[in-house]
Amino acid sequence: MSVITQASPAEPEAFSATPERTWRPPSYWPFVIPALVVVLAIIIFPWVFTIWMSLHEWKVGSPTVFVGLANYLRLPTDPRFVEAIGHTLFYTALSVVLPLIFGTLAAVVFHQKFAARGFLRGIFIMPMMATPVAIALVWTMMFHPQLGVLNYLLSLVGLPPQLWVFNPTTVIPSLVLVETWQWTPLVMLIVLGGLAAIPTEPYESAQIDGANFWQVFRFITLPLIMPFLFIAGMIRMIDAVKSFDIIFAITQGGPGSASETINLYLYSVAFVYYDIGYGSAIAVVFFLLIVALAALLLYLRKRMLWTSELGDGA
Amino acid sequence: MSLRQVSLRQILGRIGLWLSVFVIVSPAILFFLWMASLSLKFEIDNAAYPPVFIPENFAWKNYADVLASNRFLTYFVNSLIVTGSATGLAMLVGVPAGYGIARMAAHKSAVVILIARITPGLSYLIPLFLLFQWLGLLGTLVPQIIIHLVVTVPIVIWIMIGYFETTPLELEEAALIDGATRWQVFRHVALPIAKPGLAVAFILAVIFSWNNFVFGIVLAGRETRTLPVAVYNMISFDQLSWGPLAAAALMVTLPVLLLTVFAQRQIVAGLTAGAVKGG
Amino acid sequence: MSHHLISRRQVLAGTAAAGALGLTGFPARAEVNWKKYSGTTLEVILAKGPRGDNLQKYVKEFTDLTGIKVESEQIPEQQQRQKCVIELSSGKPSFDIVHISYHVQKRQFEKAGWLADMSGYLKDPSLTPPDLVESDFSAAGLQYARNDKGQMLSLPWSVDYFILYYNKELFQKKGVEIPKTLDEMAAAAEKLTDPKEGIYGFVGRGLRNANMAMWSNFYLNYGGEFLDAKGNILTDGPEAIEATKLYQRLLTKSAPPGVVGFNWMESMASFTQGRAAMWIDATGWAPPLEDPTASRVAGKVGYTVVPAGPKGHFSSTYGDGIGIAAASKNKEAAYLLCQWVVSKGQGARLLQAGGGVPFRSSIVDDPEVAKGVKTKEWLQSVIDSSKISKLGLPVIIPVAEFRDIVGAALTTTLSGADPATELKKAHEQFRPILERSEKA
Repeated sequence: MSVITQASPAEPEAFSATPERTWRPPSYWPFVIPALVVVLAIIIFPWVFTIWMSLHEWKVGSPTVFVGLANYLRLPTDPRFVEAIGHTLFYTALSVVLPLIFGTLAAVVFHQKFAARGFLRGIFIMPMMATPVAIALVWTMMFHPQLGVLNYLLSLVGLPPQLWVFNPTTVIPSLVLVETWQWTPLVMLIVLGGLAAIPTEPYESAQIDGANFWQVFRFITLPLIMPFLFIAGMIRMIDAVKSFDIIFAITQGGPGSASETINLYLYSVAFVYYDIGYGSAIAVVFFLLIVALAALLLYLRKRMLWTSELGDGA
Repeated sequence: MSLRQVSLRQILGRIGLWLSVFVIVSPAILFFLWMASLSLKFEIDNAAYPPVFIPENFAWKNYADVLASNRFLTYFVNSLIVTGSATGLAMLVGVPAGYGIARMAAHKSAVVILIARITPGLSYLIPLFLLFQWLGLLGTLVPQIIIHLVVTVPIVIWIMIGYFETTPLELEEAALIDGATRWQVFRHVALPIAKPGLAVAFILAVIFSWNNFVFGIVLAGRETRTLPVAVYNMISFDQLSWGPLAAAALMVTLPVLLLTVFAQRQIVAGLTAGAVKGG
Repeated sequence: MSHHLISRRQVLAGTAAAGALGLTGFPARAEVNWKKYSGTTLEVILAKGPRGDNLQKYVKEFTDLTGIKVESEQIPEQQQRQKCVIELSSGKPSFDIVHISYHVQKRQFEKAGWLADMSGYLKDPSLTPPDLVESDFSAAGLQYARNDKGQMLSLPWSVDYFILYYNKELFQKKGVEIPKTLDEMAAAAEKLTDPKEGIYGFVGRGLRNANMAMWSNFYLNYGGEFLDAKGNILTDGPEAIEATKLYQRLLTKSAPPGVVGFNWMESMASFTQGRAAMWIDATGWAPPLEDPTASRVAGKVGYTVVPAGPKGHFSSTYGDGIGIAAASKNKEAAYLLCQWVVSKGQGARLLQAGGGVPFRSSIVDDPEVAKGVKTKEWLQSVIDSSKISKLGLPVIIPVAEFRDIVGAALTTTLSGADPATELKKAHEQFRPILERSEKA
């Protein structure tokens, strides 16, 4: 069988050489198929149904009428939807970039050895473990412009009180503050895995060469953890685009519609206005938008793997 | 470089390190302490300005109120069943899938699985509600377990792909030459090495599932409600009640917070061990 | 005190049964056959709040009376509405009895035909005690419960007026009179505002959607009507612009910072902290305001009607009802529970707890019931409001869209936008939605 011929590179001498992972037998499919079946079974029916509904005018309680693409044609003329796209992209960009930066820095710190590291690391990842709805409500109390603890903290360092989520211009950054607080630990964990994967030799030689901390980070650490940053970025992007619990519990898209993202608007259309047809059209377009963003990241990751030594993603 | 210079640099490094640790950890510590403080204060202290951190009178009744006003234990058990089953099933199908995809470098199939993760959760709700109603499954926990798979399976697969990509092929190849089947290789060579990765996947799947509440709103009834949904219902008290609200929030979150402290060693050790071998 | 209350409440709760026994002197009629459906189990879905509490607290009495087992649950309003709509539209709801918000759901439920007609049951003496007659419900209640054909699709349960809460201490300190008109109110609010002290003259809902319930008080008092004879929406007219200008003036000049994000909860927080001198909101908040563990202003709160406008004096009115799912298999048993829910005894308890106001005049006008109400001033404001009651939202299907879109326009004016322009924009956005919904 092909296994035997394919297996020849795995002779002991190959261990020291750079692994040649060109070996791709087809028979790994049985491992994948159960999961594929499960996933397809749970998503295929909803998707068929959603697409079917998106072609109909269906408000709950009224008869269903086939309207073709009318729901889709309504989207560009719907000012709330158009605004929601902008809010979503702004919210997502901040909610990906900030946790990536802080998470990487935190990972670098937690990669060092110090007393009580395990315990402190446990504390640090608590925000991502905690139930978002519950967390969001405590944040709401903290954001309160008069009684909230955040303005009190600002006053301690001599800063003027802020309106936080109660001002259309600061609402998204304030929500991102919560999102960042919550999800920086996830990035940290993923990057920490990457840091641990880095061999110690480059650091030793860098130390001998007298490289400073920043140089070490920039030229040794960062390139090596790139694949992990991409995984983290991908997960973060998907979660941030779909972010719901926090926005819903804190602002419900307000003030006005200043923090109404596509997901919040989708919720309103489908579950408050019961406009299932139009809501389905929004769901389809929303999905395509996320796919586009994910494809962009996957493409970048693929290229990254090509150029990195870990590369096997051809 | 003289020795003294080195040690001075080391001391400064130590101070800098501790400062950074302090800065990094304090937002989490302060938040949870404040949450605990809110949960132990009467309304009059909770709405006071400047804020009161440690009140004169502790409002233990906030906790008693929450326990009394809700069937906390039922919802807790429901949550355990839903999260436990959804995570268990996800591990069962997701770990082999992650392995297969990593070994085949079949990122295209990963994309298919990613679709489940990408789909806005809200768009599952109406179709699946109608489906489960047609199947007569509403009123049981089955619909929630199934819909939670949408959350847990992709997470497990994604973590495991990343993990298996960093574990060495050589041992597996050697085992194959010795005549082992792929399943045996997976079971006896790949899986033991991947144990720490399993822990990470498991824990992340548990979090995502435990914390999910959107699905429960529509699919859960009185008897099948999970804890986050039950807490959200408490949250909307028709009165300003920061104390009981914070108490409820803390109680729901406590299991996962304890899990965090308890399992963080495994998460971190798993990542470190896996990574060393992967290097 | 409490012992006395309970025993009297039990007497009140027994009124229905007593009526059947002929103790209250009603002419002899066929008796309500309470035990007819003994052994039946009913499922009830309630919106969270004092109404639901009132039902759950005493439902055991109903079970004792009828032998009907009642399984009920309270869900937060917004989710309850969703769950009801999804389940009812599926044709197989998991509940027999549904608690509905008239101001949001009336048209939708009628049009979809989700509720069973109760008209026949109301006339059936074996199901309805003699004191429960349609004419006992207020006009607003009947307007809510009846459909175009005059069928009763639900029983009006609890009405919510909007009233003016004020902080007596702050008014005294500044020597300001209680305002009688909206203009006086705006002037008073500005006089009472003292940002250095953290005191503001007025607080109220700035949050999109929620704000419509308060704004409509201004709109109605400026002479506004929601719909013209042809069913076109009118919220871009001069009355709306004037009302919005007042709204903008109050909430930007004399309201606490961040009011743009306030719903009733945040407004109440300001008010109970003694940081706001006036607050306009629904009637149900007297209990928390008078609770010394939750409020710094307990005992200092004044209650009165919403001030009059140049072209009218109305109190925006909203309401809840209780109905039977058309798909229910236990309609008569379900009706027994519905009529118990709106019975005199249950209504008196609701009013006395400050949790709501029954639609039935025989309860609100009963001096015996009034004796059990703790805050007399509150009760007076409720009675006065009932005389100037007017529906606070248009009776259309897309109420939620209306509240969101026009509400967002109001919120935008709080950041300085021009009321006329914003209302016009909202109007253009909402009109096609309304047309589509009426056409379908």
